[in-house]
Amino acid sequence: MANFFPKWSNTLPLKILIAVGVLGATVVAGVTYYFTPKYTRVGYEPKQPVAYNHYLHAEQLGIDCRYCHSYVDESGHANVPDAGTCMNCHSQVKKDSPLLEPVRNSYATGEPIEWVRVHKMPDYVYFNHAVHVNRGVSCVECHGKVNEMETVYHAEPLSMGFCLDCHRNPENGVRPLDEVYNLNWAPENEAAHAEMAKDMVIDANINPPQSCSGCHR
Amino acid sequence: MNRTIKNEEKKPAEATGPKYWRSLDEMADKPEFNEWLHREFPEGASEMEGVNRRNFMKIMAASFAMAGMGAAGCRRPEQVILPYSKQPEGTIPGVPVYYTTSFPGAKDNIPLVVETHQHRPTHVEGNREYAPYGGSVNRFASASALNMYDPDRMTSSYEGNKRISAERVKDILAGIVAKFGPTKGQGLAVLAEPSTSPTRLRLKKAILAKYPRLTWAEYSPTESNNPEVAASRLFGRPARPLYNLDQAKRILSVDSDFLNGESGSVGMARAFSKGRKVDDQADASKMSRLYVVESAFSVTGTMGDHRLRLSTGNMTAFLARLTAEVLELTDGDPRLAEFLRKRAKDLPVEDKWIKECAKDLVEHPHQSVVTAGSHLSVEAQQLAIFVNQLIGGVDHTVSYAKLPEDTSSEITGLASAIETGSVESLIILGGNPVYDAPADLDWKKLQKSVSEVIRFGYYFDETSLEAGVNIASTHYMESWSDGRTLDGTYVPVQPMIMPLFGGFQELEVLARLAGMNNSDSYGLVLDTFKGSIAKGGDKEKAFQRLLANGFEPDSAFETIRSASLNPTEVRESLSSASLTAVGTGSDNLEVRLVADNSVGDGFYNNNGWLQECPDPITKLTWDNAILISPALADHLGFDTKEGDFLIGGVSKKSANFKRGREESRIAELTVDGITVRGPIHIQPGLDDWTVVLPLGYGRSKVGRVGTGTGYNAYPLSHSGSGMVRNGGKLVITDDGYRLANTQEHWSMEGRAILREGNVGTYLKDAKFVAATGMESHSPPIYGHDHSSPQARSLTTPRGGSSYETPDFSAPPPNVDVWKDPEAREKFIPEQQWGMTIDLNSCTGCNACVVACQSENNIPIVGKDQIMRGREMHWIRLDRYYSSGDLEENRHSLPSDPQASIMPVGCLHCEMAPCEQVCPVNATVHDNQGLNVMAYNRCVGTRYCANNCPYKVRRFNFFDYNKRNTKEFYAGPIGTNEYKLEGAALKSMQKNPDVTVRMRGVMEKCTYCVQRIEQAKIAQRVVAKDTNNIKVPDGVIRTACQSACPTEAIVFGDISDENSAVSKTKANDRDYALLGYLNTRPRTTYLARLRNPNPKMPDYSKALSRKEYKSVQAVSSHEGAAHGHDAHATGDTHHDDGGHGGH
Repeated sequence: MANFFPKWSNTLPLKILIAVGVLGATVVAGVTYYFTPKYTRVGYEPKQPVAYNHYLHAEQLGIDCRYCHSYVDESGHANVPDAGTCMNCHSQVKKDSPLLEPVRNSYATGEPIEWVRVHKMPDYVYFNHAVHVNRGVSCVECHGKVNEMETVYHAEPLSMGFCLDCHRNPENGVRPLDEVYNLNWAPENEAAHAEMAKDMVIDANINPPQSCSGCHR
Repeated sequence: MNRTIKNEEKKPAEATGPKYWRSLDEMADKPEFNEWLHREFPEGASEMEGVNRRNFMKIMAASFAMAGMGAAGCRRPEQVILPYSKQPEGTIPGVPVYYTTSFPGAKDNIPLVVETHQHRPTHVEGNREYAPYGGSVNRFASASALNMYDPDRMTSSYEGNKRISAERVKDILAGIVAKFGPTKGQGLAVLAEPSTSPTRLRLKKAILAKYPRLTWAEYSPTESNNPEVAASRLFGRPARPLYNLDQAKRILSVDSDFLNGESGSVGMARAFSKGRKVDDQADASKMSRLYVVESAFSVTGTMGDHRLRLSTGNMTAFLARLTAEVLELTDGDPRLAEFLRKRAKDLPVEDKWIKECAKDLVEHPHQSVVTAGSHLSVEAQQLAIFVNQLIGGVDHTVSYAKLPEDTSSEITGLASAIETGSVESLIILGGNPVYDAPADLDWKKLQKSVSEVIRFGYYFDETSLEAGVNIASTHYMESWSDGRTLDGTYVPVQPMIMPLFGGFQELEVLARLAGMNNSDSYGLVLDTFKGSIAKGGDKEKAFQRLLANGFEPDSAFETIRSASLNPTEVRESLSSASLTAVGTGSDNLEVRLVADNSVGDGFYNNNGWLQECPDPITKLTWDNAILISPALADHLGFDTKEGDFLIGGVSKKSANFKRGREESRIAELTVDGITVRGPIHIQPGLDDWTVVLPLGYGRSKVGRVGTGTGYNAYPLSHSGSGMVRNGGKLVITDDGYRLANTQEHWSMEGRAILREGNVGTYLKDAKFVAATGMESHSPPIYGHDHSSPQARSLTTPRGGSSYETPDFSAPPPNVDVWKDPEAREKFIPEQQWGMTIDLNSCTGCNACVVACQSENNIPIVGKDQIMRGREMHWIRLDRYYSSGDLEENRHSLPSDPQASIMPVGCLHCEMAPCEQVCPVNATVHDNQGLNVMAYNRCVGTRYCANNCPYKVRRFNFFDYNKRNTKEFYAGPIGTNEYKLEGAALKSMQKNPDVTVRMRGVMEKCTYCVQRIEQAKIAQRVVAKDTNNIKVPDGVIRTACQSACPTEAIVFGDISDENSAVSKTKANDRDYALLGYLNTRPRTTYLARLRNPNPKMPDYSKALSRKEYKSVQAVSSHEGAAHGHDAHATGDTHHDDGGHGGH
């Protein structure tokens, strides 16, 4: 009786097994990489209606974050400035620039400028800016070095894992309160800073919530 | 949580143009929107009036824009942020602004603080600065936030079927002025709702001065002026009795629902509760005693220590008899006593009841009071005034406020004027007379016979249909006005949002009628304030202060000092009065028409929160019913004696009541040839031959929520006899009707669910509450832990389980910095939240239910879902009846039960059964003791709800927010409500700090976790890099706690022994609901105490305790092996039983 199956078929199950394994591993690896905020969100850099340059304003001109993003230390939201804030300066500086047309327009008509949202939390997440900046967490921890961005992009994943990294190790995210809005600040001495941050966490009892109720309500 | 109270800044409306709508996906051109807009008159309307006034929309536009954008690629939808163009001063996006205002009522404005998010009013709370009301509200004030966003409100003024502009309305009003100015108002009549506003009164006087021949009538179907009429008659000037219940040790309520239904009930409930707070035995011996005589079963009746059922028609006779007894005891005029006794001789009440009650009142001079329901006759009111004088209540428990001069005609006077044809133009301000005027007037016909009818109203309703011109009214949150609380304290009504649909303010309309140049209501209110309220100084500043405080201190009415009457006067005024007892019987029923506990006189018929709020006593939602007593039910042939009879159901078969569905039968009630058809609900505790008909339902022209709810009881109203009729006949038909009832079972079956006892029991044994219930003598399932419920809820037993409950007083184990023992010493543990509910204070008024719904974005599910037991309220009020005889209770309806009410929300157990069964860890414990729900994790297995012994978890069976109530079962092919304009309006009410839950997730009380977290954040913002992170006691107030008129709910940190909540938990009466289950709940209850008078013939109260004891007595005989101890048996205290006498 002839052999029904050729000899090479002896190894077929093994090959299939390996192929499936490789395929599975690829899918898993792909999903873990591509389906996470680290891939989907980081780098998101939409075009804004006004080519506002953070590098120019915040870095070169040295305007404090809070000049425009007022009430960030009082409210859960970091305010997006009204056209009036822009016009405080631009009624005199570059007042005829075509780039500022939408701002002047908004100021004159009352129509809001349609800024495209870059950093977005899901609706069930209640992030609060005030508590972070008042307890020593700098803007840069989540937003990256916005002062060096010409167009703002999504610098950090802002996933739940990202939040919890810091909530579990608060000493890695805190800095002296007067340096919170200084995005260029870097500790002079890493070891001394680590010691100081640890003391700050202990003395101020910075215990960021790890329970659901901290962020989901 | 610092709450800043900001004043509305007056500034001219900014023109924004309708362009926003363009960015909203051309919403205005969608067919649904047009349909909605033209709903009232589909053939009318072509203009888009009112849109450009929606100034605040620029803020809202952001969320609309989101809804409009589809998914831009698979990355994620692009969203835009729309900032202000010029940010208004004092506005911090994300931080709510609180405005003071007041909730207008007929006699009493409730001072409020309204929470606004970006100028959208979202939640109403009372103004805590105003001490007499202490920041509490009633359910109507809470629910008024929803009325504001009612898509069915009148969105434009109409002339006939045509929408008209504001300019046209002004022309019409100017036409009236031009026409009737020269005739001095001959032929002009106004029918208004009663109001407390001094500015309105000023304008009314201006109008009457301009048109001396004008007829000004005021009418409200459910507010009676009889107390004021009686007081005015006796004291010769406009006056109003004010009861100071906090001074009272003995209170007799004669058909007066002062805890719930009467005007000013919020303040009276608060004052009453002060006399019922019991911290220890010393307080208990000073606790007040409440006697209630009533025909219906009211909320006040459930609080009564003695409750006597008596038909309303006999109340005057009762008061006469009581007066006679009091006269005798106080050596008063014997002739008057004899006169009264003779006139009221047929009163079907046991002599001893009246005698002992009178004696108790007299024995507490200056500390006792008799309150008479405002619907009772003027004679009854006079007797109450007189008896209060005899028992020394004047200036102590009762005072008489001097009301301002204000005269109006009755609606009957206006009706006869219309009949004689002397009214050419009729202006109707508010109200809904076509629906609710006394039926014998046939108001609809009268109104039709008037050639010009101008109606100013909030809804397009029955009256609007018969009016030539309809002027749209603004909501009170959109208008300037003012008002007074019951005692006369001046309060502002301040707007916090530009009118959503334009519309007119009442004061503006009146000013135009008065022909004033200044019709700006802000200016009018300011003028009133400067003219008659402010007391010197800088009056502009004083006005700003008024708006900041929300009331003007020391502006209450003056009272008549030592008001007194002499007996001769009283006899004279009563000489022609009918004081004789009125006989009633099965063929001669007394019919009482009362304001519904949910929808009032019908104005709130279109309010879903109120419709769905279960009636405190009947627990009916979405309908009213004809309430009949078990005796009458027996007489009609209902089987109330055999089988598993459940309350309310009327079918002869048992098991007719299943999961919220009450199979009822339609009855026909006939009085004087007029018949009303409605479903029957058998209500224990009614006077045997009194039938109670709640008003406010069966509207023929109402919005989408109210359409098809209930039956209309107004046809039985009569201008002559008020809201009580005699000679009713009830016939049962074969037709059935399904009622939605949220509580199917009404007996505790002798279990210690709601623990209560007499004051005597408590004085004898302060620990009797702890000795009640299974956990006091249960086998060692409990771990032999006999610590207090508070201690138990702070600790969790360790060992014996593979699961180790985390120790919340320690730092999280995964945080490295705390591993250092030195650091460990500086660790501040999280605050541990807990709550107590004092059952001795809770009246069951439902204020908490509605406040919770408003704060926590709880959806309305509709009647059909309620009938499937799917109501979503996070807090429910369980109402239990007990008659003392458990066997009887099991097999028949008690006719004179004692009712006890218990609020139950999630109890936040430390050993929560729900957490143990969740397969996805969606419900877990957090380190502050909260049992949290992570909605985004929940997959909807509902195991948690199955395992919850308290049944407090609520499941979103449908997308209650997204789908129309009628289209739940259509699922995704149904209409998406979010895309309809009307729903967008409703979503403006939503609290942005609370997730709007979707289909398939479980939800439940969160202890208002958003408030907790905001308070913690606010505290940390203040703390900066210090460790001052503990939220001070009293800063966090849950929505239910804030609303509660009787301060029954206390919330706070139970790990801090000085907190208010810890102090209440240290009370002897503290117990855990179903404590034997070892769930260790954070919410515990303070047992209820009743304070009956041992000398009274019906001294047999604390009936539920009697039932409990009877069960214990039986089971202890059977199961002595369980180690039952002595307390359960053998000690049938005298003060628990019906033995009477000490």
